[in-house]
Amino acid sequence: MQLGGAIPGAQFVDPAVLARIGNLDLVARSVVDGVINGLHKSPFFGTSVDFAEHRGYVPGDDIRRVDWRVYARTDKYFVKEFEADSNSNFTVLLDISASMAFGARLSKLDYAKTLGACLTYLVHRQRDRVGLVTFDSDVVDHVPPSAKHLDVVLHTLERAKATRPGQLSGPLRKLAEHFGRRGVVVLISDLYDEPEAIFEALAPIRFRGSDVVVFHVMDPAELEFPYSDPSAFEDLETGEQLPVVPESFREKYQALVRGHIDALTARAAERGVDYRLLDTSKPLDFALYDYLSFRERTTRVR
Amino acid sequence: MGFLLPLFLAGLAALAVPVAIHLIQREKNTVVAFPSLMFVRRVPYESVRRRKIRHWALLAMRLLALALIVAAFARPFVRGSAAALTGGAREVVVLVDRSYSMGYGTRWTRAQAAAQGVLDALGQGDRASLVFFGTGAEVALQSVDDRARLTAALAAASPGAESTRYSPALRVAGTIVSESTRPRKEVVLISDFQKLAWAPSDEDRLPAGTVLTPVAITDTDTRNLSVTPVAVRRSRFEGQERATITGGVTNRGSEQADGVTLALELNGRVVETQTVNVAPQASAGASFAPITLTPEPMRAVVRLADDALAADNRFHFVLAPTRPVAVLLASAGGRGADETYLRRALAIGESPRFDVTTTTVDALTDEALAAARVLIVHDAPLGDAAAARVLRFAERGGGVFVVAGARASWPQAAGFPGTLAAPVDRSRGQIGRLGGLEFGHAVFAPFRAARSGDFSSVRVYGYRRLAAADTTQVLARYDDGLPALAVTPAGRGAVMVWTSSLDLGWNDLALKPVFLPFVHQTVRTLAGFEDRPAALTVGQVATPDSPADQARPRVVVGPDAARLPLDAARGDTFEVTQPGFYDVRDAGADDTTTSIVAANVDVAESDLASVDPAVVTAAVTGTADAQAAAAAGAAPPRDEVTEQSQRLWWYLLLAGMLLLIGETVVASRLSGGAV
Repeated sequence: MQLGGAIPGAQFVDPAVLARIGNLDLVARSVVDGVINGLHKSPFFGTSVDFAEHRGYVPGDDIRRVDWRVYARTDKYFVKEFEADSNSNFTVLLDISASMAFGARLSKLDYAKTLGACLTYLVHRQRDRVGLVTFDSDVVDHVPPSAKHLDVVLHTLERAKATRPGQLSGPLRKLAEHFGRRGVVVLISDLYDEPEAIFEALAPIRFRGSDVVVFHVMDPAELEFPYSDPSAFEDLETGEQLPVVPESFREKYQALVRGHIDALTARAAERGVDYRLLDTSKPLDFALYDYLSFRERTTRVR
Repeated sequence: MGFLLPLFLAGLAALAVPVAIHLIQREKNTVVAFPSLMFVRRVPYESVRRRKIRHWALLAMRLLALALIVAAFARPFVRGSAAALTGGAREVVVLVDRSYSMGYGTRWTRAQAAAQGVLDALGQGDRASLVFFGTGAEVALQSVDDRARLTAALAAASPGAESTRYSPALRVAGTIVSESTRPRKEVVLISDFQKLAWAPSDEDRLPAGTVLTPVAITDTDTRNLSVTPVAVRRSRFEGQERATITGGVTNRGSEQADGVTLALELNGRVVETQTVNVAPQASAGASFAPITLTPEPMRAVVRLADDALAADNRFHFVLAPTRPVAVLLASAGGRGADETYLRRALAIGESPRFDVTTTTVDALTDEALAAARVLIVHDAPLGDAAAARVLRFAERGGGVFVVAGARASWPQAAGFPGTLAAPVDRSRGQIGRLGGLEFGHAVFAPFRAARSGDFSSVRVYGYRRLAAADTTQVLARYDDGLPALAVTPAGRGAVMVWTSSLDLGWNDLALKPVFLPFVHQTVRTLAGFEDRPAALTVGQVATPDSPADQARPRVVVGPDAARLPLDAARGDTFEVTQPGFYDVRDAGADDTTTSIVAANVDVAESDLASVDPAVVTAAVTGTADAQAAAAAGAAPPRDEVTEQSQRLWWYLLLAGMLLLIGETVVASRLSGGAV
């Protein structure tokens, strides 16, 4: 599939990445299937008309699937979901807080957009339903999972701008009620919050059976703290400035970041969440390839 | 170390500017956007500054170079070496007050100790002068560096009998320091700073740059009783002269003095004592019983018991009978002018008494004239013989007073004031008046002051016209300009003429209040009478009663038994320097005392209240802070000279420039390495 420039957000579907992971398609698929298989009690219902559940109508849903009876009773729009409609729901939770705009040559947000688009495209190609939620301190855009929402997801990705301060726990708790059906939820963020709070917020999603994958996107500057001159460091989200002597503080900073990553890794392992740190200085294809390979290995073990 | 232009040192503050600017610029120019400050910890800027100075040596070079250049512009010099170059020796003048008030309590001992302290502080090359002062100033040693001599002179000194006067001492000190070549000039004034003795004068200013150091030798609570000068009231009783002595006591302390015994001594024997109570800062008097005076003078003393200041506890005086002025009153005899007014006026005199002898001009003899001091020719014609006799009398020192009434005349002979002519009748028309009085003459001196006698009210109806001789001095004139009173010298005496009458015939002068003092003063003047005081004050000049005679050399024996030959050429005068009695004797005849002079200290000195030494300092140096004034006056030129002789700024500037060159080299190497 070749996405032309006419489709908004198509630029995030990086051909280089796809080429890199193209030979993993099967592997990926198996991995995805494995995930889906692990998630679904009875996969491959086919085009069954068995009712599965009601969910709230969101723009983009086919109005032919609105349950008018429910509307008559409740005066609200609900659409009926059928088990045979999809193998799995695949939702990308994309952090678009202002801190994601950081990056010298490639911002973390762009990197995350590419990651999210590639994964969405990959999953969509596997006939799974794809959705997207962008958030900062609140939910900004919500594209419910659907087999037809690839374009909407890409378009939403294209429009996403990192401008406002962010907060992980609040939006995640708020989104948890939207993940009544088990699926795959991918969180892409720089995770500037306390690890315990992050995974506490993810706990309801995980509790409902969704498989949660966390991609921790970090710029190399955030990891290495390569600054030398004493400077006033300004928080991109709050605007606060702090005087810092990097030379004397670098080691301490790196230790703190390492401790943060270690804590996230530990919490993720404790709660059965896949956690992967992505360095924006490294090509995405390699990172994704590495992760998918890892998923394959763990799935086989599992 | 000093600086000629210390204001340039303010430039040192610029040292902080480069560093501050450097650090502040670094902080302000770099703002790094960062995703989150979650892991960023605050680091204080102060530590930033210290830690960011990487090349300490380079910074030190820059700062040192800047400091050296600033110091060079401030023109530094070294004071210690300045003193060595220009000479730091002092000219010290020690003024020691040795007035008799310094004998109070331990004052003199303390004054000596203070002076000794100044002498002990003399350094190498210093010279000192020792000046003792009271009424006058005595230079004991001038500008010597022999400390032993100075110490010996100081130890040998003792308080005198003089009162205090600062002016002579300050002028002597000013002269000494102005003549000195020493760069530092100091005057140390050691005194009790008596308030009554201080009389500021612009002429007492010390030369500019002189440091005056006052050393006050005072006591917080002073108690002093002093005897005031006595009053002698004379009277005559049964042909004898008697004197009533009244003595006084002044209490200069702050407490009541009760039961103060005042004793009267005559010729060394206490004849009477009186007890008085004296309030603080007040006086009390006591009169002794009248004493009949003897022909020989008596040494009299009124004294108190000794207290902390003994010098003012005695008052010496001489009690001697007054000697009357012998007046020979010669008239024409028979019916004529009435000399009653004149005789009655002379009979009243007490100081002196006038011993009047009446005669006629025809009966004038040399013997009668020899016994008289003054001859009054009252409106009588003098023949040639009488006139010659009168002139001889005058030439021997006698005084002749001619009352030229209508009958008066004298031959045309030299010696008389002029030529008498016809009388002037002023009884018709405008009455004649007296005027043109010569108040500078002794006759009219008592009337000099205002309301001291009005001669203009005298109405004159007639007088003789007098053509005054060239040697004649006209002492008073009538309103038409003719002489009323004229005098001409004659040998050692004088001849005076009054061109009118002294009765009521031609004028009414005898009815005027000025008549009596006029007659007394005229006779006293012609007699050469001087009212001799019973006692002198130390410092005054005494004249023996009897006139000096070259053929009779005399000596004076002071209270300390010291003998001083008198110089007849100077009238045998001498200065009394100590309280007590001075006996004037013929040389070689110690038992023949011809005259006695009593001397006492100045009682004003017994008031021990002191003035603030700062007042004296301010008046003498022009400012209360003499040290500062001296420094302000003397320091700048010395510093300038010193700085010019050292030229330290050259070296500092050179060192600063070399450092800047070195800094440039080092900085370029460091920057090159960084690239």
